[in-house]
Amino acid sequence: MTDKNPCENAGGPIDIHAYLGEFDDIPGTRVYTAQRARQGYHLNQFAMSLMKAENRERWKADERAYLDEWPMTEDQKQGVLARDYNRLLDLGGNIYFLAKVFSTDGLSFLQAVSTMTGMKLEDYQAMMIAGGRSPEGQRSIKEHR
Amino acid sequence: MARITHGIACSHIPALGVASDFDKWEDPYWKPIQEGFAPTQKWEAENLPDVVILVYNDHASAFDMKIIPTFAIGCGESYKPADEGWGPREVPVVEGHPDLAWHIAQSLILDEFDMTIINEMDVDHGLTVPLSMVFGKPAKWPVKVIPLAVNVVTYPPPSGNRCWALGEAIARAVESFPEDLNVQVWGTGGMSHQLQGPRAGLINAEWDNMFLDKLSGDTQELRCIPHIEYLRETGSEGIEMVMWLIMRGALGKETRELLRFYHVPASNTAVGHIVLEPVNGDVPPSATVEGAATQEQID
Repeated sequence: MTDKNPCENAGGPIDIHAYLGEFDDIPGTRVYTAQRARQGYHLNQFAMSLMKAENRERWKADERAYLDEWPMTEDQKQGVLARDYNRLLDLGGNIYFLAKVFSTDGLSFLQAVSTMTGMKLEDYQAMMIAGGRSPEGQRSIKEHR
Repeated sequence: MARITHGIACSHIPALGVASDFDKWEDPYWKPIQEGFAPTQKWEAENLPDVVILVYNDHASAFDMKIIPTFAIGCGESYKPADEGWGPREVPVVEGHPDLAWHIAQSLILDEFDMTIINEMDVDHGLTVPLSMVFGKPAKWPVKVIPLAVNVVTYPPPSGNRCWALGEAIARAVESFPEDLNVQVWGTGGMSHQLQGPRAGLINAEWDNMFLDKLSGDTQELRCIPHIEYLRETGSEGIEMVMWLIMRGALGKETRELLRFYHVPASNTAVGHIVLEPVNGDVPPSATVEGAATQEQID
């Protein structure tokens, strides 16, 4: 038989509500939960379609017409057209899917990610070179740590 | 008999693939990373395995939102580099090892790990960047690769404890493969990074180095870290580090660190890398009836 479970808190029933609830306590972060995955399903599948070169061409030729082929909400479509990635995260977008949109635009992860921080690209890049954003004060909203 | 010889962990940041593909290593931004991996490239050439079981996550390349396997194993003959939105990387096609892969898949399922089996897929930067970091730019990858894809994108991903246990089950499976093969297990992704929202750019070097420290020796502490701790301490994408625990679990009871490298940043991310050797490769026997039968063959 296997050894008993080495993790004190593992192996018992997990309270899924408490598990998910903790995610909302992380500052400036949208964890890609089932709820977001459902909300953003077509948004993410649209983004996924840009992995094909022929779709990228059609998309570049007429973004609005391409978006209208997908059963997305108007909010989601506007968010894509504006490349407002924070808004798209709120509307169920996932960053790895949205990456297909900014890659098609010719943006790197660094360039695209910086747009979500409210910082200028140069400042964001300088912060990363200096060691990145400190976790101090960024761990928990409730506990101010 | 097949044996697990070593474990390697390595970040799989897409920008590292760009640096490799476009020969940017002499650039002052990338030079420290090239220097950090140079000892590994030399070491790996001297300790070349036959097969690498490469644990990684797909980033919306082979898997979209239609199907989300928690653990999936590649049993195909070969895998092409994926077009991730800017055309496929110009790196060699990845050759699989279907005999060993199917053996592992079957063994794991009997060992009560309900794997998804993949026969055809393209592989993205999650899998090809670590190959570039360890092998450079050869005309052909010098090893066969068994891709092992883990969902760390849609919540919940598997627990660290489950990942560790899967590693132990992989060790049992490899040990019961009759062919004489040297096998490495690689865990990829991480370390600290957050690619989304106003908190993007978070890096926690102290936590990352704690994690690197505890991969060696006989401690099993890392398997008990809950998801929320990865998220709070290392950024939303730091959760990828659970994949390193599959590698660590596969190395057994006790390990020794051979090489290690940590650097901030590459793009948005902390680069972490370690080479581990099993000191005591024992893993617990399977708890299942079918698994126990397999164990008898080993004994």
